[in-house]
Amino acid sequence: MNSREAMEILKLFRPGTADEQDAAFDEARQMAKSDAELGRWFEQHCESTRALRQKFQTIPVPPGLKEQILSERKIRRPVFQRYWGAMLAAAAIVALLLGIQQEFGPLHFQPTGYPTYQKRMTEAVLRGYYMDWRGQDPDRLRAHLKARNAPANYTLPDGLKSTPVVGCAVLKWQGSNVSLICFKSGRPLEPGAQSDVWLFVVDRNAFGEAPAAAPEFKRVNKATTANWSDAGHIYLLAAVADNDFLQKYLQ
Amino acid sequence: MPGPDFEAVVASYYEPLYRFAISLTRSEADACDLAQQTFYMWATKGHQLRDQSKVKSWLFTTLHRSFLESRRSETRFPHSELNEMDADLPVIAPAGARKLDAMQAVEALGKVDEVYRAPVALFYLEDWSYQEIADILEVPIGTVKSRMARGLAQLKLIFAGRSPARNQPGGPHE
Repeated sequence: MNSREAMEILKLFRPGTADEQDAAFDEARQMAKSDAELGRWFEQHCESTRALRQKFQTIPVPPGLKEQILSERKIRRPVFQRYWGAMLAAAAIVALLLGIQQEFGPLHFQPTGYPTYQKRMTEAVLRGYYMDWRGQDPDRLRAHLKARNAPANYTLPDGLKSTPVVGCAVLKWQGSNVSLICFKSGRPLEPGAQSDVWLFVVDRNAFGEAPAAAPEFKRVNKATTANWSDAGHIYLLAAVADNDFLQKYLQ
Repeated sequence: MPGPDFEAVVASYYEPLYRFAISLTRSEADACDLAQQTFYMWATKGHQLRDQSKVKSWLFTTLHRSFLESRRSETRFPHSELNEMDADLPVIAPAGARKLDAMQAVEALGKVDEVYRAPVALFYLEDWSYQEIADILEVPIGTVKSRMARGLAQLKLIFAGRSPARNQPGGPHE
């Protein structure tokens, strides 16, 4: 081995790592001890490698990433894993109700109407959510929703048309696909958050009674929602903000 | 025997995993996505890992695969060819290396050809042996060393303010 070959080998040597015990470097390291020029080069190599390793190992990690990872797992875990105990209990209740029905005649259930949808959807984004498509192109976003049989031919108010989108997801509500479109208002985001204004769009036929054409505001948890409908869709806009904040997106 | 608790795995590895991800993507949002996707896969498939001492390398392999898959549909990167003179470049001056901040280092690494980026990132980020890096990247050890050497040489050119000469897209490089 000549000093040039030794240098080629030592270029891959990382001081303070498993390379110290790697026999592949032994001969070249020995040569660096006896060849002054190679030795100086090797010393510099080790010093700069140590310095760069220290830089890479201190790359800042976004605050809130850990919490985001943990919360997304909860959302994305299959329903049967999360609720299998509850599902067994529900099955027992259904069996019991069927027995009662047979004995005493049909039962009447409270319909799950728009207020429940409004509450559930808003709380879902407040808890954390997963966008299954990310990007800033509104046309591609619509194409993604369309490909997944979710509402895509919705009409946005001008205020929302000029607000940057960051992604979307498709949710389910009692057999209907719901488009969730995520926007960024420009306010500072919570740690780990990707967006702060959310629009849910569902087919008009998903509910017997839909909101009026003029937006109606309703507080849900810490968020404000604006709710309206047109001939084809029902819209639910939510943000952690007040009515005035949402109003500017509805003009 | 039950595997490690999900939260404990996240707490132990989300930082090194994110650092690897941002070294590959240069984008904070993409790096967060990759890290999240990797832990999601761990939550659904991690139980299949028999040797629980390999959790960290499993996560790195999975993240690297996801990164490659996300890039598969994009145009192949042009690969740089180093000439003989470039191969003889001196090491980065230690004083210069010390002056850099972490994000400048990431920025410079992002300019290295994609095929060399993962080996170089692991060179600086982790303490794994070359065999372990080869296992993580799922390439032979010789390829790891060759890519690492080329990637490090490119990085030196970038730090020196020179752009590596590029071949035509999709040209041979190894």
